Amino acid sequence: MQKQSWYRMAALTSVVLLAGSPQALAQDAPGPTNKKIAYSPYPAKTFPNRVYFGDTHLHTSYSADAGMAGAIVGPEEAYRFARGEEVKSNSGLRVKLQRPLDFLVVADHAENLGLAPMIAESDPGLLKSEWGKKVHDLAKTGTIEGQGAAFNMWIAAMQELKDPFKGQEATMAQPAWKRITAAAEKYNEPGRFTAIIGFEWTSGPNGDNLHRNVLFRDGKDKADQIIPLSYYDTGDPEELWKWMAAYEQKTGGRMLAIPHNGNLSNGLMFDDVTLTTKKPLDRDYAERRMRWEPIYETTQPKGDGETHPALSRNDEFANFERWDKGSFGPVLKTPDMLPREYTRETFKRGLAYEAKLGVNPFKFGLVGSTDMHTGLATTTEDNFFGKVAVLEPTADPIRFDEVIVGRVPADRARSNQHLARETSASGLAAVWARDNTREALWDAMARKEVYATTGTRLQVRVFGGFDFTAQDMERSDFAEQGYRRGVPMGGDLKAAPAGKAPTMLIRAMRDADGANLDRVQVIKGWLDAAGKTHEKIYDVAWSGSRKPGKDGKLPAVGNTVNVKEASYTNAIGAPYLTAHWKDPAFDAKQRAFYYVRVLEIPTPRWTTFDAKIFGVKLPTDVPASIQERAYTSPIWYTPK
Amino acid sequence: MIRKLLREPVLHFLLIGIALFAAYGLVAPRDKVGTRIVVGQAVVDALAREHRARWQRPPGEQELAGLVEAYVRDEIFYREGVALGLERDDPVIKRRVRQKLEVIAEEQQARDAPNDADLAAYLAQHADRFARPGTISFEQILLPAAATAAEVTAARVSAIRGADPAQLGQSSMLPPRAENVPLDLAARDFGSGFAADIAKLPPNEWAGPVRSSFGQHLVRVTARTPSVLPPLEGVRAAVAREWENERRVASLAESYTKLRSQYEVVIEAKQVPSIATR
Repeated sequence: MQKQSWYRMAALTSVVLLAGSPQALAQDAPGPTNKKIAYSPYPAKTFPNRVYFGDTHLHTSYSADAGMAGAIVGPEEAYRFARGEEVKSNSGLRVKLQRPLDFLVVADHAENLGLAPMIAESDPGLLKSEWGKKVHDLAKTGTIEGQGAAFNMWIAAMQELKDPFKGQEATMAQPAWKRITAAAEKYNEPGRFTAIIGFEWTSGPNGDNLHRNVLFRDGKDKADQIIPLSYYDTGDPEELWKWMAAYEQKTGGRMLAIPHNGNLSNGLMFDDVTLTTKKPLDRDYAERRMRWEPIYETTQPKGDGETHPALSRNDEFANFERWDKGSFGPVLKTPDMLPREYTRETFKRGLAYEAKLGVNPFKFGLVGSTDMHTGLATTTEDNFFGKVAVLEPTADPIRFDEVIVGRVPADRARSNQHLARETSASGLAAVWARDNTREALWDAMARKEVYATTGTRLQVRVFGGFDFTAQDMERSDFAEQGYRRGVPMGGDLKAAPAGKAPTMLIRAMRDADGANLDRVQVIKGWLDAAGKTHEKIYDVAWSGSRKPGKDGKLPAVGNTVNVKEASYTNAIGAPYLTAHWKDPAFDAKQRAFYYVRVLEIPTPRWTTFDAKIFGVKLPTDVPASIQERAYTSPIWYTPK
Repeated sequence: MIRKLLREPVLHFLLIGIALFAAYGLVAPRDKVGTRIVVGQAVVDALAREHRARWQRPPGEQELAGLVEAYVRDEIFYREGVALGLERDDPVIKRRVRQKLEVIAEEQQARDAPNDADLAAYLAQHADRFARPGTISFEQILLPAAATAAEVTAARVSAIRGADPAQLGQSSMLPPRAENVPLDLAARDFGSGFAADIAKLPPNEWAGPVRSSFGQHLVRVTARTPSVLPPLEGVRAAVAREWENERRVASLAESYTKLRSQYEVVIEAKQVPSIATR
């Protein structure tokens, strides 16, 4: 099946493949054998040696909007599911991941976290008290809506307490928070599965999405010293950063925040002015923003945030899972908002800011995540459990037709709405690290050695340097050379030596259970001498014998998708691609960034699986097949 | 709409307090709900504590006044809303109250810590769930899916003659050598079929080719350990976690079953889609 594609790929990507003549080459030469170390082929080395896939953004029934929409899967089940266990979905379906995730962040909304009843979890004796017993009696008799004796006892007991807050350290939110952190602690298993503690701060002025997920590097002991900050406390990210600083100072712990859905922010996510004071961004703001928000979630169910066709007119892959009708508020999207919403354009603007301020306020890395409100971190098209519980797999039209964006005003035109069928079965956060631990994963996020995928586990690695050669691509100590003589994704190249240009070494490999790769691209953005920004896309490796046309465009890879059967074959594409690429138009005096985009061959979209499985009509306003993809964090070039 | 609605502070408060006060409203006549709001020291202290817990500093004078005002406002709207019966038939509130009772039911069990005998029995009963997966150490050489038998043989011969296997075959992102890898983790990288296949290979020889979705692999297994059931000390945390989880789930189910038995549920509708058909 892969016969032809293999040889064509080899010819084009200079991967020599003749078996029997030793020449091409493993990613890393193994180090000395050390039997004690599990799954660490390079024990003498310290650099990241594998990629971990997870979700930094999952809601459970503890999020009020999830609970309202029918979610009953709580944090414990969410972690069990991510670890690969079968659980019952919110609608009672049996559900399981094809392969377990390596890590998960349960990031419930801080708002309305007050799930737990007014009992003091900090006081285990309380339930053994008279009052606790009465509450229990109530639970047993179940007269919440009735007027039985137990109910009256309960009311009386509550009144006896006089102070309903008695025994509580703080608010209703705290017990719920402690249950969430307890679940994380319980299912965190270094080396096998990492449960990172986190929550979502849900700022949404006028319905414009400024949400951030806050991730702790720490365990429950430190996380329990605070209550998650909510939108009720403040809607200004700068206040959030202050709050994060206070946490670090108090506990000695570490935090980072991951914003998402700039596409639903109506231009506020990467605005040119501060939110509250509307002051132009300054150096101090830029430093603080990058101190607290090193990475950004650029792809998720409510749309892909890499770029927009209006911003990247020469990018035939730009129109991907696009949500651009507005925010959650009543204001419709206008074209002027777009540059302040999408990551590629924002990277470009960041270069201009850096030239002006001395610091780049938008120098962030990229991840994807699910933002599912089901407690089920599903990311593949064939296992899409919907954004919220009522949209779980069903033949009911609600699964396609529910309005997600554009519910206000009520008479909003259909053309200005986004419906459930437009929801993208996306995405994953891929993290290059050495160990599957909270510390190792968090540190990789902080240094931006991460990338986003739209839901599949395709692997990509890139190193940028000034003296890489094509032979380095084939070296058995590829990664060690990459780190020693260059920088990985998320890194910085500075002051190019005379006559040298940034050179990228790239390896990409498809998901073990997924589709072949179409192509690898380097996307370059730069700031010219006149202060204008530009972007250019380079195809650097591809499958088959395709040749770029006169317009420089590589022909499409083809499409094997059988829409009726919701199937495809790997008869096209390549299982892995490699590239050694040198910037052909480099100007050492100009600021630039480079990131890698890897595209898979077309595969059926989740709506196509639905049409097949439930026999429902295939929607015509979403594509039947899509090309899943990965976006790496950029490597930035800064002149002297 | 859902998100928007959920950001309404009035609704927010309804959610938080409803377990107590919605119920209270049902038994207490309107006049007894009262138009008197007493903000005692305990309430103010609690508001201050909440502020401190969130912001890592006590509230300033103005901030505290604002918190009290917000509390009063919540209280007034809340009481008025309850008096109007606005909490009834509200799915958000129903779900929240249900969650609270479920938490109570779960907490009942969480209080009893398991002893060694409980855990040992649980471990024995569910040995398959706690057995450590077998591990495997191996080297692998990746060849194209389309490599011919002759090419495979040539690679095998090179490897047997002592060529560095890391230098043979394809460059890929798969590790050329793996040490003591649990088989299930090997499956995450190479695919489950591959992991199952190499578990059966003869040791210390270049065997295969074994197929994966990436191509064909020559594999030399250098060490293998069988799946073992560790003693309780080795897996106490995991056993306790599963034991507690089972109790939690059972407790919740039991609590519902008991309550359900006290209700007469009459389904009059003709068509009720069952979950099984969804």
